[in-house]
Amino acid sequence: MTGKICIIGAGPSGCFLAQALLKSAPGLEVDVIDALPVPFGLVRYGVAADHQGTKAIARQFARIFERQGARFLGNICVGRDITLTQLQAAYDVVVLAAGLSGDRRLGISGDTLSGVYGAGSLTRALNEHPDAPPLPVLGPRPLIIGNGNVALDILRLLAKTQAELEGSDLGPGPSQWLAQNRIDHLTIVGRAAPERAKFDTVMLKELAKLSDVTIQMNDIAPSATDADGEKLLQSLTGLDGKSDGPRQLIFRFGLTPLALTGDTHVRAAHFSNAAQQQVDIPCSSVITAIGFEAQNDWLPRDALIQSAADLSSGRLGPRLYAAGWFRRGPRGTIPEHRTDAQILARTILADLDPDAGRAGRRALGQIKQVTDFDGWLRIDAAETQSPPTGRCRSKISSRLRMVQIAQQEGTRQ
Amino acid sequence: MKITILYGTETGNAEMLAEDIQAEFEAAHDVNCQNLSETSPDDLAPDRFYLLVCSTYGDGDLPASAQPFGAALTKAQPDLSQVHFAIFGLGDSEYDETFNHGPQKLATLMTACGAIQLGPRIAHDASGADLAEDLAMPWASAVIALAQTALGIPA
Repeated sequence: MTGKICIIGAGPSGCFLAQALLKSAPGLEVDVIDALPVPFGLVRYGVAADHQGTKAIARQFARIFERQGARFLGNICVGRDITLTQLQAAYDVVVLAAGLSGDRRLGISGDTLSGVYGAGSLTRALNEHPDAPPLPVLGPRPLIIGNGNVALDILRLLAKTQAELEGSDLGPGPSQWLAQNRIDHLTIVGRAAPERAKFDTVMLKELAKLSDVTIQMNDIAPSATDADGEKLLQSLTGLDGKSDGPRQLIFRFGLTPLALTGDTHVRAAHFSNAAQQQVDIPCSSVITAIGFEAQNDWLPRDALIQSAADLSSGRLGPRLYAAGWFRRGPRGTIPEHRTDAQILARTILADLDPDAGRAGRRALGQIKQVTDFDGWLRIDAAETQSPPTGRCRSKISSRLRMVQIAQQEGTRQ
Repeated sequence: MKITILYGTETGNAEMLAEDIQAEFEAAHDVNCQNLSETSPDDLAPDRFYLLVCSTYGDGDLPASAQPFGAALTKAQPDLSQVHFAIFGLGDSEYDETFNHGPQKLATLMTACGAIQLGPRIAHDASGADLAEDLAMPWASAVIALAQTALGIPA
């Protein structure tokens, strides 16, 4: 089967889709575009620096470009460098797999005070994303709002000692930032009851290894729940009192956020508990980890989703599809998107009606400073050839520098 | 020798390794590669050697694609006493408490049905320095040699 397919977004969903398409139909031309000069999206900029085992999935994705024949075209911002309409004219199929990178806001009074940060933005800064804001001063009492794995990643990194970060790819800037944080109380608050928190128990177990903290579990009461809830409660109660370190790591549950207050900088968060009583927690900063939404800056994601022909199948319109979080919202782990991508690949191949007259990647020829997969391999080599002691990689955080290294030798497409 | 590589995968990493092993040995042997999700314990034959490649997922569980096979072994308790296998595990020592529990569970289920395990169960660590294939190829060579003896096939 032939056909020209353009996938927008070289993160896990886009890569899994390219993999599934080319496995079924090796004759396809599959181009994977990314706004960044480097591929792998969330794997590089979302997965925590101390989860190198999870990041190792990048080796699998590299095969798609090295052996299956997909093309990587980096540093192309759809909407700015080329329009979606132009891409649709050039390709038989266009798939939006651009993820969701905006932090969902609390939507309560005070959520625009200074000292309130989104977990996604903070995660990108910790992962040295070229567009991330500088790492903020969190003060002695940060408060994390949210009870999912993104919240746990932030919590764990903030609590780790320098020795516990050995083997990660946390950069010198973020490492120094963590070392200089003078956190004495780190509180994490969830709206749901503990047995309904969205934590993975395997990630909770990692917290038991933190040497520098003492964990306090609050708001846990015996409750009628299912087996998963029971297991979660056991994991949580098992953490109580670990590990006799000087910093207090405090878990609170069942608290609905009401307001954040402070003069210009946040000083306290106010909640309502299950008994409708108000609970006030003083804090020096707030990190919200309550989900993600579209930034809608260059791609009008929300409008595209609202007008989708059949969102459950991934069909946005004729020859236009959505994958991953872009399609289904900010839910689901990396491997769940593999299954999703396999289903979407079947849908696309069933619908595919190729027109040999379409220009394909020639339509991208006028865009300047495009990076390719060989360019990424040069960046990867530069980052891994001499990492600092205790680190497996030294990330290049400047977009300009990445593009320079990518284009150092060879020719670009 | 007739070899079937059976993989249990969640992220696709075990599938990739299984395909690498197939590519490495298919010149010298009759090798096929199959997802455990498409395999029934009744398919397992005495004249083939089975190389299992399996990850761990969640809290020490079998990966999604191995779960139906694992459940079938538990439920039906088929007689696998003529079946020879070896197993390679993929894991992540960041989650040390459950490290490589998936392949360990699968090996236990197989041997509980009488299947004969050849060679050691090797565990690759995604957070470690080794590449999976650098451990898997020597392991596969060694267990294939063992299987040739066990199945009475001249090398």
